[in-house]
Amino acid sequence: MYSAQITRANPTCIVLLIDQSGSMADPFSGDSSRKKSDFVAEVVNHTLHDLVIRCTKTEEVRNYYHVAVIGYGRHVGTCFSAELGARQMVPIAQVADYPLQVKSSYKRVSDGAGGWVEIPVRYPVWIHPASDGKTPMCEALTRVKEILERWLLDHPKGFPPTVLHLTDGESSDGDPNEIGQQIMSLGTDDGSVLLFNCHISTRRAAKIEYPIDERSLPDGFARSLFQMSSRLPANFLSAAAQLGVNVIEGSRGFVFNGDPSSIVQFYEIGTSLTGMTPYRWMDDDRRSELA
Amino acid sequence: MWNLDTRQLLLPKLGHEASECEDFIAFDTHTGRFAVADGATEAFDARNWAQRLAQHWVENESALTADDFREWVAAEGRELHESWSGLSLSWYSEEKARTGSFAALAGVELDLESDAVSWKAIALGDTCFLHYRDGSLLKSLPLSRSESFNSAPVLVASDASMHETSMSSVVIDSGSCNDGDILLLLSDAMACWFLERFERNDLDPNRLFKTTGDDELKQFFNDERLAGRMRNDDLAMLRLEITQRRVS
Repeated sequence: MYSAQITRANPTCIVLLIDQSGSMADPFSGDSSRKKSDFVAEVVNHTLHDLVIRCTKTEEVRNYYHVAVIGYGRHVGTCFSAELGARQMVPIAQVADYPLQVKSSYKRVSDGAGGWVEIPVRYPVWIHPASDGKTPMCEALTRVKEILERWLLDHPKGFPPTVLHLTDGESSDGDPNEIGQQIMSLGTDDGSVLLFNCHISTRRAAKIEYPIDERSLPDGFARSLFQMSSRLPANFLSAAAQLGVNVIEGSRGFVFNGDPSSIVQFYEIGTSLTGMTPYRWMDDDRRSELA
Repeated sequence: MWNLDTRQLLLPKLGHEASECEDFIAFDTHTGRFAVADGATEAFDARNWAQRLAQHWVENESALTADDFREWVAAEGRELHESWSGLSLSWYSEEKARTGSFAALAGVELDLESDAVSWKAIALGDTCFLHYRDGSLLKSLPLSRSESFNSAPVLVASDASMHETSMSSVVIDSGSCNDGDILLLLSDAMACWFLERFERNDLDPNRLFKTTGDDELKQFFNDERLAGRMRNDDLAMLRLEITQRRVS
């Protein structure tokens, strides 16, 4: 299980489900100038960038992945707009061709001889930060379930879909556990849908990353999210270990009270799929600042 | 004094066109140089990089010491990167090109003119050189066990700024051959499959390469990949059998 080769004939799909409720406008981790929604949008744009680059074969982007970015707050629906806004699930080649804008910047990298050089880099933007309304998590998960059911009708074989869900608060429309379980019961001939959850917090509460049981969880909401989080398959465990994250067999794809560095790692691990080396778009200096 | 019998097999991934194959075989029986390269699927212009490495290594006269190899790869990499300048690239191709290209390479040089045949081999990545004698595997480099194959080998990078770390993984070795010895250059999926079979002792893969017809051999490996006994990857095999010339 979770070993199918991802090909154009048997692509997989990745759903990024993002909480865009009003509380996402709160500052993150002591930096009063930086909203949680700003940081999450940055990470999501980098994740999409990474997925495109992985599928780029010289001048062609191969459709190994189909991607949906679903937001929930005042509305529930795709975060893509313009050319990509008409469909919930978009082949990665189309994602590549239709960013809203491509920003240019410079990045400092090693010159291989003990020094540093600045090289030009491109930062495409597909989604903008949003934060408004309540937290209709159940409605959002129901939308994800419908999208996956449709996608699985056409793709019953191959690496199963991965859903990366990020939230900063409790659901405003009921306990999400039941709908989460329904999503996890879907799948392909290679395994059940993987649902991973990352809860982030502005409080200085101790973060809990990739636990194996509920013992350390503080409340019913945390336990509910834990129960609707899939165990990390071996490939993902290996990617997590490469990032220096402390995981063991049985660890769930679940973070509670995560900080900014937790979010970065959550997306890196969650998109490592077949055990590929996680793409580290954020340099070590900035990671240390976030941790 | 010595006969050299060569056999090669090159197959693209199942469901892919031959033109998409990123494995390359190059050899020159006159100079006794043989190479297999495997472009990294995720890299920019990997097919060209693999082809360039295999062909130019065979055409080269040196690149069999760590220093020569590093210098030669750096020059080849510069030429590859220069070939990209002036191209009008999309943002994603530009980003991909920025990290350069990657491939695995294994090459062997044979001296068939001496009384005793000798070989010198060099390898970086997971394309392997194997020396086989009477059912025994005398050498397998740079990897010698099937469990050593993983998804993140250290490869030959076209960007010289990565050589500081990657070139320390170059493996160079030499040996001599007896009458009937077999030398193999195998890209990763084939090498992993070969070693796995060899470790389990459930098939003589060397016999398979020698006695099976071309079409049958292709079908065999298509079936192996379809059945999941072998990764669905490009496959390259170059087999060199060295026999003493008999005087009638």
